[in-house]
Amino acid sequence: MSDFLLEISRNASARRFVRALGLPLPLPENLARGAGAWEALPLADRAVVVGASERAELASPLATCLASAGADPFLAPSEALAGAFRAPGETFGRPAHALDALADSRKAHGLVFDASGLERVAELEQLHAFFHPLLGRLARSGRVVVLGRELDASASPERAAVQAALEGFVRSVAKEVGRGGATANLVRVARGAESRLGPVVRFLLSQRSAFVSAQPLVVTARARSVGEPALVRSLDRKIALVTGAARGIGAATARQLAAEGATVLCLDRPGDDALLSQLARAIGGVALLVDLTADDAPARIAEALAAHGGVDVVVHNAGITRDKTLARMSVEQWRVAVDVNLGAVVRATAALEPQLRDGGRIVCLSSVAGLAGNVGQSNYAASKAGIVGFVRAEAERLADRGVTVNAIAPGFIETRLTAAIPVTIREAGRRLSALAQGGQPDDVAQAITFLATPGAQGITGRTLRVCGGALIGA
Amino acid sequence: MREWQRAPKGRRAVIVAGARTPFVRAFGELTKVDTIALGVAAVSGMLQRAGVAHRDIEAIVWGGVILPSASPNVAREIALDLKLDAACEGRTVTRACASGLQAITDAVQSIERGEFDVAVAGGSDSTSNAEIKLPQKLVHALAPLAFGKATPKDWLGVAAQLMPLGEILPQRPRIAERTTGEVMGEAAERMATRNEITREAQDAFALTSHQRAAAAIAAGRFEAEVVPVEAPGGKWVHADGLVRGDTSLERLAKLRPVFTKGGTLTAGNSSALTDGAAAVLLMSEDRARAAGLRPLAAIASWAYAGVDPADQLLMGPALAMPRALDRAGLALGDVDLVDMHEAFAAQVLSIVKMLGSDAFARARLGRDRAVGAIDPARLNVHGGSLALGHPFGATGARMVTTMANELVRTGKRTALLAICAAGGLGAAAVLERID
Repeated sequence: MSDFLLEISRNASARRFVRALGLPLPLPENLARGAGAWEALPLADRAVVVGASERAELASPLATCLASAGADPFLAPSEALAGAFRAPGETFGRPAHALDALADSRKAHGLVFDASGLERVAELEQLHAFFHPLLGRLARSGRVVVLGRELDASASPERAAVQAALEGFVRSVAKEVGRGGATANLVRVARGAESRLGPVVRFLLSQRSAFVSAQPLVVTARARSVGEPALVRSLDRKIALVTGAARGIGAATARQLAAEGATVLCLDRPGDDALLSQLARAIGGVALLVDLTADDAPARIAEALAAHGGVDVVVHNAGITRDKTLARMSVEQWRVAVDVNLGAVVRATAALEPQLRDGGRIVCLSSVAGLAGNVGQSNYAASKAGIVGFVRAEAERLADRGVTVNAIAPGFIETRLTAAIPVTIREAGRRLSALAQGGQPDDVAQAITFLATPGAQGITGRTLRVCGGALIGA
Repeated sequence: MREWQRAPKGRRAVIVAGARTPFVRAFGELTKVDTIALGVAAVSGMLQRAGVAHRDIEAIVWGGVILPSASPNVAREIALDLKLDAACEGRTVTRACASGLQAITDAVQSIERGEFDVAVAGGSDSTSNAEIKLPQKLVHALAPLAFGKATPKDWLGVAAQLMPLGEILPQRPRIAERTTGEVMGEAAERMATRNEITREAQDAFALTSHQRAAAAIAAGRFEAEVVPVEAPGGKWVHADGLVRGDTSLERLAKLRPVFTKGGTLTAGNSSALTDGAAAVLLMSEDRARAAGLRPLAAIASWAYAGVDPADQLLMGPALAMPRALDRAGLALGDVDLVDMHEAFAAQVLSIVKMLGSDAFARARLGRDRAVGAIDPARLNVHGGSLALGHPFGATGARMVTTMANELVRTGKRTALLAICAAGGLGAAAVLERID
């Protein structure tokens, strides 16, 4: 009985039955998800409606991104858009059409609005003008993406206010479209980082971002460029290290990285030998049995990486909980949680830095619970919030080598950890997101893998939540 | 960049002769002539007209798409049926609709490498003789009965596997992409939409193809190229069967879309399933001159390209053509004639559009300017597959023969050939006349 609703919602006939009877049972939408290696044309034949504010500046990279990903663009009236979409349309055989040409029977997979030109408060109304008539035409598991500007300190206060307003707007839209499995996200692009926008939009419009919603992603030119990014099999000939790889999010991440072509070193505790070896065999990787709390762990990891000639992608996924309210928590419980979740990350990163190749990637696992705070998790939340500061500083330090450092903060994900939560709280945890359901380990793996790819060069020092638009958290 | 290697002058392969059977609609007059027999007819007719002794042929390289499963090496079967010297070896190559051109460029390589001096290259296909395939499920189910003595238990096991019946009935052959399941016409239909090629433009192009082919036939332009075939029963087939010189835009406009509802592709602006064969005679230049034969043309360069079949299945030539031109050291404006296989009018017009686009050239070819415009007067001067038909493996040798003769007849210098093929493949070759 515990996950009765989940079972029902997976059964098409049962869904129809519940709907027909008008039962007040909230049935979460089955999210359309991507699987396996990235496609060359993730948006093949999907209708994407594009609008732009006055003075919009991102039409050109957006047009190239959509046409090369296989989307059929439909443009809201705008001279700037029509001009920018002409050449990419011709190149990839994806001519842009006027919005009127979108057949009434055809749903829009994506709604993209370039709000980068918005400067005055009154101009925010352009968001209303674009989205108001279109939201009803958004497909199930559709995508809303708003493009804004990451401003520097010299921007006028009004412009700063207008660009900040986009975030509240997107978070609200995410909640409104979430019941249909659709997501809404914001991309803020810094000046000089326009060429790095494409792969980010490609990810957000694809089925790989099924559980990423209500998030602002910032794209900058901070991490040094390492050349034109490959979009397919982008991790070929790269070495990746995933800690906590035996199960759950770690295993899913190892699989996804391998699907993109990486050779994955799967690390977990010696006790998980069987599971880990099985995974490593399945994905053509290497099993690495290391206890992260041991004194010699950093040295052993560095040694293993050296044997492979270095490392390109490091995913610090291993984590534990030792939940107790602070008044009842022993210092041992505090110490072990903070040490595995944060201390080991700091130590291991320092030890493997000499092995990290230029253009490399570090992805650390934070947690929405860590950002929001939670009863009985003061140790866990401290360690997971610490990750946010760690990636920010480390990103700055490694930017000149083209290395990006980011955190992923999963919300409610269906894993062994969450399965242990009492059923009522568990069901509530699922419901408290815009998508009204928990995520899958694969959803987190997809986001981690995206950050690990060359296309994510513009994102560094950030914490990306994979939470389905969770109610809680900063 | 890799350098394109040309053979030393005397060693280069030259085209000495070419001929083909009449091209006729599948399940028409040549229904009972299979791909091997068609090949025999084309090769024997060509050798007779060229005045070359059988014993001089050292090898046959043959292209085919629908290969007979009991004897897939059609090349060798042709040599044996034709009673060429037993030493004349043969290999069969397949690269979908580019198989015929593939056979020719393969033979050219072998000659230029010094493997042989005289070879026949070409291709044939008989859509009328496509084998109806049994589903793999039935084949696997019957396996226990085929090997050794079957027990009653085996029989029961087989019976149990044969349900539901729909899965074990023979399947109608379809020209569908293996990876996408898409029928080629559907892919071309999508290309028409995506490259904004109208029904009117397609019909107009098809009309030109028919009119030019009909004019060429009426003027006797193909007489030297077409050899008659004897069908079982003693009936001789002399003429191409698909050309409709009397068609008109009005008649073409009346045809219904055949691939998608509300689409633009019709039987009139798509090539038809066809039976036929074509062959050319290739020699090293020194050998040809020593034998007192007149070389017509040489293949200066060629290129093959692949694209994602899920994207624009038939756009391959837009990548292969500029590559072949580069290798020949020519620009599109330099070539006198362009001959492009017409699978569908929509495919030809899409490729012409791509070649004319600066944006396409920058993003897809890594060059600053468009490959160039193609003057319609230079494109498919005697019509193409829309009018003549398209026996898959034969089209390459048909195009090479017609263009080689055209260069000699008109005194022009170069011709660019292009063929699109299933699997997202494209082929191109540059033909140059030899003085």
